[in-house]
Amino acid sequence: MPQRDIAIIGASEVKIELRSGRSTYELAGEAMAGALASAGLEKHEIDGLAVTTCFSDAGNPFFSPILSAYLGLQLDWCQATDLGGAGASGSVARAAMAIRAGLCHTVLVLSADAQSSDNRGDIRGFRGEFQYPVGIMGPPGFFGLLSNRYDHQYGLDPKALAKLAVTQRDHALLNPLACEKLRKPLTEADYLASPMISHPIRMLDCVMVADGASACIVTTTERAKAMGVKRMAHPIGYGERVNHLETENAPDITRVGHEAAGARALQQAGMAIGDIKQFHPYDDFLIAIILQMEALGFCKPGEGCQYVREHDFHFNGDLPLNTGGGQISAGQAGLAGGAHNLTEALRQLFGEAGERQVRDNSNAMVTGIGWIPYGRNWGASTVLVLEAA
Amino acid sequence: MSDYDPLEGLRPAPVKQDFSQPFWDAAAEGRFLLQYCPDSGKYQFYPRPVSVQTGKRNLEWREVSGRGTVYSHTVTYRSPIAAKGIKPYIVALVELEEGVRVMANLVGCAVDAVKIGMAVKLAWVKAGEDNFPAFEPA
Repeated sequence: MPQRDIAIIGASEVKIELRSGRSTYELAGEAMAGALASAGLEKHEIDGLAVTTCFSDAGNPFFSPILSAYLGLQLDWCQATDLGGAGASGSVARAAMAIRAGLCHTVLVLSADAQSSDNRGDIRGFRGEFQYPVGIMGPPGFFGLLSNRYDHQYGLDPKALAKLAVTQRDHALLNPLACEKLRKPLTEADYLASPMISHPIRMLDCVMVADGASACIVTTTERAKAMGVKRMAHPIGYGERVNHLETENAPDITRVGHEAAGARALQQAGMAIGDIKQFHPYDDFLIAIILQMEALGFCKPGEGCQYVREHDFHFNGDLPLNTGGGQISAGQAGLAGGAHNLTEALRQLFGEAGERQVRDNSNAMVTGIGWIPYGRNWGASTVLVLEAA
Repeated sequence: MSDYDPLEGLRPAPVKQDFSQPFWDAAAEGRFLLQYCPDSGKYQFYPRPVSVQTGKRNLEWREVSGRGTVYSHTVTYRSPIAAKGIKPYIVALVELEEGVRVMANLVGCAVDAVKIGMAVKLAWVKAGEDNFPAFEPA
């Protein structure tokens, strides 16, 4: 039986901007104030913080306590989550664990990054030794390797990718918080004509790095009810997989950790994949959406493009997908980007998604992706199932 | 820059880990070493401080042939290390006969000639002053 003892009672997102010139702390402050207002909560009621680490304050070994001091938070539990784009969904799960363990009762889950204004990231380890000398074009290069292998094994249909690009762009046009630079109509022809970055990855396959922040408030359902909260969402299933197939020397790189994380999340939620009413997958690249559809069981491995062709992913379609535009069309707020997908799901579950509100908002699946290993698929996979109360 | 190797003279020197030193010492002599875990009978690449199979430090360095096949590839049009004027070049994921994969440039190969499954062999290039592994059609 799924547990409904934990509730998310507020959520907010700062408008995504390219090179805003704003700091992580400034963005975080706006996100927290918005989440408090959304929850109808006073700041002093927060006694826990789970925050995603970011590029713009990388190198600061005291990021979460300094951030909490800036925000005026006295805490009984303070956590930084360094799973990159999986950090937001991972932080919700960690917050629920801390609350269940009795360490705190109300957690601010926060993600903020100003990567496009101030990138202090220095990802060490094998990258400087065996990756940078090769000149691979970062994540687009890795997704290029991945895409060519996928194409070799199954066939990759650029028009299916275009359909996802156009659908998400249609959603960004309806989302006033999406980055203005991206709020322009897009056609299949635009996608197909987009310049190659690292073959077969086109410019419009990729996210655009920007600045932004999101926050939500996690507490007990009991406390939420006592407060008289009118709408809330229960995190009823969560799965996480870091370094999927790590000890296999030659894994199939089209296989992703969401196959393990998704099975666990659905099992906890007592649901089958067909029960999911809206899907908010982490989308740093369009093909990542297809790989996740296959790993999570929306379709079989290799059938992702066909599945995309057969379904309508608009907010009023049969499987609403990334209804806020996703990161690809709303902008990727650095390592806070994964919080965009989460926050959009919460807005939908709260019935607060405005003109892009989905019809059936009874539940949602949110995913996260974090970090790129050497010559493999992505390194961190999270799956969070949320249910509207 | 050359037609054989568009990145010639442009690769940054590798930032070496302490436990990788035997790899670089051998590379300087034109020998390609892999870590080998005798407990599991498996090779591993890149170098690690432990066997990724067992977590133990019982590791050997073994010289390998450098023969393999292309598992996947991507042609880089926007280079992160040479902003202007560079010709597109190939980054390949090469599966060695020993079962591990190495990410490396495919040199001496036209960008439209690379194919998954094609046989390749080791070809040393320079990264900074260091010998660095690349591959060319076998």
